[in-house]
Amino acid sequence: MTTVADPGTAVRRPPGAAPPVWNRRRREALAGYAFVAPDLLGLMMFVGLPMVLSLGVSLFSADGFGGYTYVGLDNFRQMAEDTQLWQSVRVTLIYTLAFVPIGFVVSLGLALLVRDHFPGVGLVRTMFFLPHVISLVVVGIAWQFLLVDKQGAVATLLRPVGLGDTSFLGDPSLALGSLVAISIWFLMGYNMLILLGGLKDIPKEYEEAAGIDGATSWQKFRHVIWPLLRPTSFFVLVNSVVGSVTGLQAFDLVYVLTQGGPAGSTSSVVFYIYQQAFTFNNYGYAAALTTVVVGFLIAATGTMFGLTKGGRFDAG
Amino acid sequence: MSAFERVTRRSLLRGGAVVLGSAMAAPLLSACGGGDQGGNPKELTFWNFYGPNPQSDAQSKWFTDLVAAWNADNDVKIKLHYLPVSEYLAGRALQTAFSAGQGPDIFLLSPGDFLRYHNGGVLTDLTPHLKPDQIADFADGALDTRKVDGKIYGLPMEREPLAVFYSVDAFEQAKLSEGDLPKTWEQLLDVAGKLTSKDRFGLLFETIPGYYQNFTWYPFMWMAGGSAVPENGGPGFDSPAVHNALKLWQDSITGKMSPRKPQGDGGNDTSANLGSGFVAMQQSGIWGVSQLAQNNKDFRYGVFPLPVPEGGTYTTAVGGWAFVANAKGANPEAAAKFIAWALGANDAEGIERGRQWNTVVKTNLPARTSVQEAAESAGAFDDPALKVFLDKVVPGSRGEPRYTPEVYKAVSDAIQAAQLGGADPAKAAADAAAKIGTFLKGYKGAAML
Repeated sequence: MTTVADPGTAVRRPPGAAPPVWNRRRREALAGYAFVAPDLLGLMMFVGLPMVLSLGVSLFSADGFGGYTYVGLDNFRQMAEDTQLWQSVRVTLIYTLAFVPIGFVVSLGLALLVRDHFPGVGLVRTMFFLPHVISLVVVGIAWQFLLVDKQGAVATLLRPVGLGDTSFLGDPSLALGSLVAISIWFLMGYNMLILLGGLKDIPKEYEEAAGIDGATSWQKFRHVIWPLLRPTSFFVLVNSVVGSVTGLQAFDLVYVLTQGGPAGSTSSVVFYIYQQAFTFNNYGYAAALTTVVVGFLIAATGTMFGLTKGGRFDAG
Repeated sequence: MSAFERVTRRSLLRGGAVVLGSAMAAPLLSACGGGDQGGNPKELTFWNFYGPNPQSDAQSKWFTDLVAAWNADNDVKIKLHYLPVSEYLAGRALQTAFSAGQGPDIFLLSPGDFLRYHNGGVLTDLTPHLKPDQIADFADGALDTRKVDGKIYGLPMEREPLAVFYSVDAFEQAKLSEGDLPKTWEQLLDVAGKLTSKDRFGLLFETIPGYYQNFTWYPFMWMAGGSAVPENGGPGFDSPAVHNALKLWQDSITGKMSPRKPQGDGGNDTSANLGSGFVAMQQSGIWGVSQLAQNNKDFRYGVFPLPVPEGGTYTTAVGGWAFVANAKGANPEAAAKFIAWALGANDAEGIERGRQWNTVVKTNLPARTSVQEAAESAGAFDDPALKVFLDKVVPGSRGEPRYTPEVYKAVSDAIQAAQLGGADPAKAAADAAAKIGTFLKGYKGAAML
């Protein structure tokens, strides 16, 4: 922000006099800190502190009953030989690789669909966003009813095509895909809204000019909308990657719908960490796993920021 | 940059370092300390999943009456703390409380979770507060999984055996009668196939991974002659008996006679599965009698003991929760006295309290002989289903085993892999046996039973 002193009201300081302690710049700085303070305090208390605490606990073997034994880096070494951890990493990787791109394309499609005004557009936008206002636990329970084997609404709909016996949550080859689909249904409205904001920021004149030059709809999207939407798309993608590894959908849906089953096919990394802490009392190992996951996400996000110049790609 | 900004940042960093340093020191201090978990020695907390609940049902009232009766005659008061059953069973609230040094003075514990808490050193020895005749009053085996080195660490409230519930209507529709009730594993699958239709499964075994699924699968392992950990010089988990038990559950899924995903709360929910017509037969516990009585009043059903494999010996698993006292609580002595009084007193009042719990507000089998006799005298087992439980299901039963979480998880993975993942039962068992073997080499806790 640039401030310009009004020559008519500026107070002229006598030569050699010390500047006032509480000048405007300092007052603004103080106000700035005061505004940031509640957030900063909350961030330190509820994010920073637990992260450091978790890092501390990861160096101990904690039994869950107040007993701590210092084990150095043993908890981190244990990860290499933990086959179930790698199975969970595989589950999370597949989930992320499916959820992020498909979820993005669906959300972008919806945003393009409701970008322009038409009668009832507000209602349509609301309907797409509606799933996101429901608690994920309720979402899980609702889908559990819809996907009941043999008798559920989905099974009934699929019976005429011979798929009535399909078990979407009980078959290891389908359960993770079902969770991806439910996650996309839950988050598509939220991402649609963010992308819609990005689309609204693109001046209509650019598209109109391209139209006058004879560009087709696809060419307008490819050469006008897509490049200008990149910062917003970047935000949605980073958010989706982080969400698919540690977000609520990676835990709540698993917890409510499958408990990591069938046969471990939906045991995501966060669910595995939860089990280590609350089923096995391996708090130290769970803390070490959390530290590694957070470190990985910070590194991945940092790399993405670095490579894309904060999502602007061509900013220089 | 102004002087004000420089000073503030340094102060912030210093302040932050102090706060974070203190946080880092917390586990270190705990490592040196340990000891009791604080609380009020004159008012003990009792965590449970019965009462006082929002519905104020009969089970809730039994708990509030129990505590009111104790509080009327004792200086040390008990305060109930209710948690919904799903929250309690998930283990997060209780476990988090203990790890934060705020564990309750008294709480409910299942055999499946016994070793985790016992090996954690938080269970109080109740034996000094029990007279020999009180201990002798408990039914054979009822205390086994709550004892370590002859000391009793928990008093069971009930005995909950497993059997198979079946729908009479489904049997009639499939032109089957009582004479067709399966007695062998082969017959079980055969009948399940006949009962399976376009919109109904023939048989439900639990499919949701967890302690409950293991609990319901163990009887099949035992009947075939297997065990999760080596017993009496036996081979342990990688044995033909275990392979066969895993294969039975796998066959029910691959034969499309069992659902891959149960309804409602899962395999322990008879109303949502058997009562709703989703399945025709369901393995469940004695609690199913009261579930069906409450939610499916006109539903016609029967009960039969778990079928036995060729050459096997019948058995079933008997579950049930126990009251336990926190050894690191504010007043473990008083907590232990309360438990001994609540579930061990064999005066008329104590026996009546047990009868009410087991056969009036719930449908269980009592854990104590005196209560069992009082209940039988009052005609509690005249109900045909309960009579089957008493006469045919319980004889030859075995208490729910107590294994460590590591053994539980290895067995759970094997069940899941074979039942739903289509893995070769022999390979699933071998994988689990290897994990169990590795774990047992370094295990120093109480014996697994």
